[in-house]
Amino acid sequence: MRSVARGITIALALALAACGGAASTGGTSNYQGKTIQLGAILSLTGAGGVYGPSSKKGMDLAVETINNSGGVNGAKLALDTRDDASDKIQSAQVAQTLIQQGNLLALLGPTLSNSAVAVHPLAESFKVPILAVSTTGIHIVPDCNYPKTDPCKYVFRDSLGEETAIPTNIKIYAAKAHPKTAVLMVANDDKFSSDGGKIVANTVGQYGIDLVDTIAFSKTTADFATPVTKALQKKPDVMFITSLGGIPAKIMIEARRQGFTGQFLGGNGFNTAVVSKQAGAAGVGAESGSAWYLDNTFPSNAEFVHAYRNKYTSDPDQFAAQGYAAILILADAAKRANLTFNDVAGDRNRLRDAMETVNIQTPMGPFQFTSTHDVKQTVWVILMDGKGGFNLLATVSPS
Amino acid sequence: MTQQILNAIFIGSIYALFAVGYTLVFGVLDVLNLAHSAVFMLGAVITYSLVALHGLPFLLAAIIAVFVCGLLGLLIEFVALRPLRRRNAPPISALISTIGLALIFVAIVEQATPGTLFGWLWQDGANSVRFPSGSVPNPTYHVGGLTIEGTKLGILITSVVLMLVLGYVIRYTQVGRALRAVAENRRAAALLGINVDRIFASTLFVSSALGGLAGLLFGLAVSDISPYIGRDQVELKGLAVIVLGGMGSIPGAVLGGYLLGLIEVLAFVRFGSNVEAGVAFAALFLVLIVRPQGLFGARLRERL
Repeated sequence: MRSVARGITIALALALAACGGAASTGGTSNYQGKTIQLGAILSLTGAGGVYGPSSKKGMDLAVETINNSGGVNGAKLALDTRDDASDKIQSAQVAQTLIQQGNLLALLGPTLSNSAVAVHPLAESFKVPILAVSTTGIHIVPDCNYPKTDPCKYVFRDSLGEETAIPTNIKIYAAKAHPKTAVLMVANDDKFSSDGGKIVANTVGQYGIDLVDTIAFSKTTADFATPVTKALQKKPDVMFITSLGGIPAKIMIEARRQGFTGQFLGGNGFNTAVVSKQAGAAGVGAESGSAWYLDNTFPSNAEFVHAYRNKYTSDPDQFAAQGYAAILILADAAKRANLTFNDVAGDRNRLRDAMETVNIQTPMGPFQFTSTHDVKQTVWVILMDGKGGFNLLATVSPS
Repeated sequence: MTQQILNAIFIGSIYALFAVGYTLVFGVLDVLNLAHSAVFMLGAVITYSLVALHGLPFLLAAIIAVFVCGLLGLLIEFVALRPLRRRNAPPISALISTIGLALIFVAIVEQATPGTLFGWLWQDGANSVRFPSGSVPNPTYHVGGLTIEGTKLGILITSVVLMLVLGYVIRYTQVGRALRAVAENRRAAALLGINVDRIFASTLFVSSALGGLAGLLFGLAVSDISPYIGRDQVELKGLAVIVLGGMGSIPGAVLGGYLLGLIEVLAFVRFGSNVEAGVAFAALFLVLIVRPQGLFGARLRERL
């Protein structure tokens, strides 16, 4: 089996080498007949199965759209998507497998911040550009080898970090309502959630909000009656929730049942239609900073939403938008990178360099990377509408 | 504090109901049915599906779901347990085959989206949903600063009544006597003319129906229905409950369920989440040191 695989790899390598020579002519290269191979590591099942499938749909749509309109300078995009089952170890194994296939130019993912801490350093050490599409925790870019602080050169992300989303949201809400007290509900056994909690705790002071209690819980908590009862004893004005999956919705429902009438504030954990739908009436007005807003009418979003609805007969969510944008980003970089198609290592470096200067229109609005490979984009502050959707409250441009 | 004890009683009822089904199979068949948590999940998923996708009223949907879960119990018996028993496989083999079935049940739901093979059953993949608002009336009572929800009260009453009925059936009816005879010694029971296979099948049916009921009540109480509610939220706890109560003991499982609910809530209130599970399992550990057979378990018999 292994020798067959090796035979195929060698044959592929020879084929690539044989047709490589003619391509690069400087300026806008012609990649006619070539294939730009990409790999994605997504959580299609397990805890991240709430997000991964959306990312995949967004990516597949973008690949299809680009290939149907002539590809990248004539080259076809090919995307190999693998499931990591939301498991950190499996995620690293999948990354290793994809990298060792030898011919892919860049990776996308993984879905969860928890897995990214294993996968990103791996990609960095193999010098393969990797673009995170949904990880919002801290120490994703540029310090992928945290606690080592030297910047990772090959790691990028197009997903708005909680470090931007949460403080922006708090600022907008504080200016409007001047809350005095808050409690924080945080899942402390998940990186995304506990990072969000830290950001809340570090930010509220600036706006005169007193964090009267922090209720930590496990992401596997079944019944939120107990944590919510405890939180409400302090009669807070605001309840912050930083947690994944359906948990924010469950907390909102329980808190409303127990008579809480204050404000819910959160981060990326609020921003899916699924969570808004699950929260229902209990979630009306729950406010968060978001990377993307469904009803934005500028062309790069309207076209995306239209195409997505046509292909999948459902509305996209933020993860689909970020997955779609990721393919646009890589396609734009590949277009400008003067790829040779006969030197994978060199092409990966050329692609990486081109990614740093991406400046395109995406469903999230105008998109660039910061000098630390993080997102530079508008933050959309949104409110749950009680019916599975959101309303736009405010727009905050990148500073 | 009173509110927290109420919270403990509600979640304890669900643990107890789940654990009763778990322990029943262990008591009679001497195998751990690890597909029980998947049936728990399917109880919630099927009810949700009938209500949200097929427009049935909640009560009818719940009855159908409980019955279907009972049938799934028969499936477990015929696919995962009986063939192994026929070959005199050790109980550990049955444990593994039930894990296999559990994985299949979870995967069926997790992979189901509109347009797929099981799209009629579930459309939300790995997502968490809840019953559409208004499909289940949930009056909330505020009594002296306490919040009591109608659904949770219903859950408490349903589980207590069912556990009493089950206890009565096992202790005082002909079927119950046959069940206990099989649990005691299946060969002797067979020699007395009891159809052991039929007892096994009905045990699985009842156990899985209870598991499914626990699942749908859980989905109702905590507004969370997803492919993972069984695996992530009750599987290990259910195991802890039946060990705490005494393997195979139904009163033990009931008491164990309420005790675990109470210990968890008190630990959370007193020490916070970091130690919640730790305290619960430390209590379990202590019980096992003092009474290795569990609270109500019979003293372990020598097997060799």
